[in-house]
Amino acid sequence: MHKKMLLPFLMLLVIFTTACTAGTAGDEESKSSGGKSSKKNNVVIGIEADAATLLANTDVNYITDVQIRNIYDPLIKRNPETGGFEPALATEWKNIDEYTWEITLRKDVKFQNGDPFNAEAVKFNIDYILDKKNNSTYLSRWADIKEVKVIADDKVQIITSKPFPTMIARIADDLLIMDPGNVKKLGLEEAAKNPVGTGPYKVKEWVRDDHLTLIANDDYWKGKPSIKEATFRYIPEFSSRLSAFLSGEIDLFKNIPVDSLDNVKNNENSKVESIGSSRVNYLALNTLHKGPLQNQKVRQAINYAVDVDELLKTVLNGNGTKMTGPLSKINADYVETKDYGYNPDKAKELLKEAGYDPKDLKLTLDTPNGRYPMDSQVAQAIAAQLKRIGIDVKVQVNEWGNHLTKIQQRKAGDMFILGWGPTFDAQSTIQNLFMKDAPYSGFYDSEVEKAIQKAIPIFNQDKRKQAFGEIQQLLVDQAAWVPLWQQADLYAVNKNLDFKPKVDESMQVFDMGWK
Amino acid sequence: MVEFIIKRTIQMIVVIFLALTAVFFLLRLSGDPATLFLPPDAPKDQIAQYREMLGFDRPLYVQYGDFLLKAIQGDFGESLRSHEDALSVVLGRVPATFQLAFAALGLSILIAIPIGILSAYKRNTFYDRIGVGLTVLGQAIPSFWLGLLLIFFFAAVFHLLPSGGGGTIYHMILPTITLAAYSVARFARFTRSTMLDVLKKDYIRTAKASGVPMMRVLFKYALKNSLIPIITLVALDLGVLLGGAVITEVVFSWPGVGRLLMQSLLNRDFPIVLAGVFFIAVVYSIINFIADIAYAYVNPQIRVK
Repeated sequence: MHKKMLLPFLMLLVIFTTACTAGTAGDEESKSSGGKSSKKNNVVIGIEADAATLLANTDVNYITDVQIRNIYDPLIKRNPETGGFEPALATEWKNIDEYTWEITLRKDVKFQNGDPFNAEAVKFNIDYILDKKNNSTYLSRWADIKEVKVIADDKVQIITSKPFPTMIARIADDLLIMDPGNVKKLGLEEAAKNPVGTGPYKVKEWVRDDHLTLIANDDYWKGKPSIKEATFRYIPEFSSRLSAFLSGEIDLFKNIPVDSLDNVKNNENSKVESIGSSRVNYLALNTLHKGPLQNQKVRQAINYAVDVDELLKTVLNGNGTKMTGPLSKINADYVETKDYGYNPDKAKELLKEAGYDPKDLKLTLDTPNGRYPMDSQVAQAIAAQLKRIGIDVKVQVNEWGNHLTKIQQRKAGDMFILGWGPTFDAQSTIQNLFMKDAPYSGFYDSEVEKAIQKAIPIFNQDKRKQAFGEIQQLLVDQAAWVPLWQQADLYAVNKNLDFKPKVDESMQVFDMGWK
Repeated sequence: MVEFIIKRTIQMIVVIFLALTAVFFLLRLSGDPATLFLPPDAPKDQIAQYREMLGFDRPLYVQYGDFLLKAIQGDFGESLRSHEDALSVVLGRVPATFQLAFAALGLSILIAIPIGILSAYKRNTFYDRIGVGLTVLGQAIPSFWLGLLLIFFFAAVFHLLPSGGGGTIYHMILPTITLAAYSVARFARFTRSTMLDVLKKDYIRTAKASGVPMMRVLFKYALKNSLIPIITLVALDLGVLLGGAVITEVVFSWPGVGRLLMQSLLNRDFPIVLAGVFFIAVVYSIINFIADIAYAYVNPQIRVK
């Protein structure tokens, strides 16, 4: 009887032993792949999701862009620290008149398959965006282009139907050059998996929803890349990304949540790199539907009642740069505006003047969850701050897609949290946030609209800056929103990896190296 | 048998039709994909154009009719995000999901049934309490948490196993355990209770009394008669697992159907979601169908009826 009783137990034992043996086998594997040795010739970057496509100029999306910018080059690039313009495939650019831009190209560049890079290639890529058949989501930004003319092998003219003062910004932020020959030969569907650019890396392998492996292009026009192989590994869940990083499987990932920073800091093999992003976060005060927020004094009162410094210190642990107006300091057209500061008495007074007893004010606040650093926690904290002067705020936490749809359809609550960026010039923020068609600031005023309409076509840079400067003052005076902060981009980086974050949020493997 | 198959096939079509219809209308309630696919600075007319191109500007019943007509021909449209054929994208993720599903199911059966039998046979003893305790624990731990815990210890702390991704057998170990934990609990509890019922039966007592060895009583007489309800349960779980274990796949970055559906849902990539639901409904129906046939095999009485 005793023996028989043991038999089922033995079965269990066998199963568990098998499981354990499998575990130790994995041990050897992960050691041989090596997580900690310095001098490596590959780098693994953890990222939330797959690229939608490897074609350039097709999908306006950070996730796609950050990957393909290792395969393709832009004509003009952003300075990593200031956001200013620097030559890349283009050597010079100028406007001949308000409707014509002329760009001179490098002559010594070849695509990864040996095809020459030239003016025809530039024309092909702009025409690609403009061709509706290609479903490029960049189209609206480029819609005012009338024609692209090839002047010489290394010279191209872009002719616009309206004055287009922000052309260089469009070229720097959007346009990447893919090889026309490859796209024509393979067709869009195949070229989306087998892209050819002029960039420092070529595609070695792309496994959907798993990884993209790139291999160095030794003939790169700027020189041989020092890292031979780069992999983007797709890890949707943040905690898994963090674990993969702590175990040495990935060397780099962006957006460490503020509340997990210590995990990275305390790890002996890692470091945190951070930079003030051009992305701004704000509390929108919705004037698009009837309510107390249509009253300027109420909006000003809320500006006085929200203590941004306290939010930054307590909720974000200091990871962010306070803003006072519609633009961040990174912005080329930034002017200094009045800081409302924290003044609850003044807030109460203004509410009284507007005819409201704070205790009767009941407002709603929409927030996404996890889209921006600590967004829903920030919303809760703002609600608590407004409660101090008596305003009752109900926080509604939304899934991101829902949040965006609500704002687009103008069905968001009295206030909402949103971010905007990357943005380096005034127009791309102010035009897209404060005009009648734009729902993202929740604010509309016909005077402001008129001023924006007037500023957009101004070609002279000084006059332009002045016009946008006045608009910034106007918006602050109107208390169009509560400016919060520039996000801090926080990167978890392997201690031995030489990586410096950039304001445009790119991760260029070519600029990285191992110590 | 032929009549049985025809009847089940018709049932299957109805189930798939209802599932697709429900999901179609629920998706339309969830928001506008144009908002998510176009850059936020896209002007109104481009958003309108985009919606027109996708056909989202038409009345809902027209969209639905059009969708059904094409779906019958196996055409679920193109992914809004990558412009690839939706059904092919879903089918491309199937091998990874199946791999994980069968591994998890195999592991759970292997562990659960012996635990269930032992608990029933040694009812109210130390073994039983351990068995029941473990199963309750397995059922109570959310797979999300268990997955992260396993990753934390086995990958981040001890560097024994990879934290996620697909590829080798080592990548499979942690997600398989995570996925199996819940099924083990269910199977073991179920095996225990049906075994307890069967063990009380007269024929078992007779078998024991006439000196049939205990192992034979347990495995030949008792287990075989407890199998029918267990098969149902296994089939149901297999259906769920084959449809993609959403949470486990996301936590372990496993490139399967569940993760694809989750991401497509967040992106409002409607064609992919609908193709995915179609796939799950078909798999579910087929599994149930196979389970019915399996009953007949285990218990000839069902066939006669």
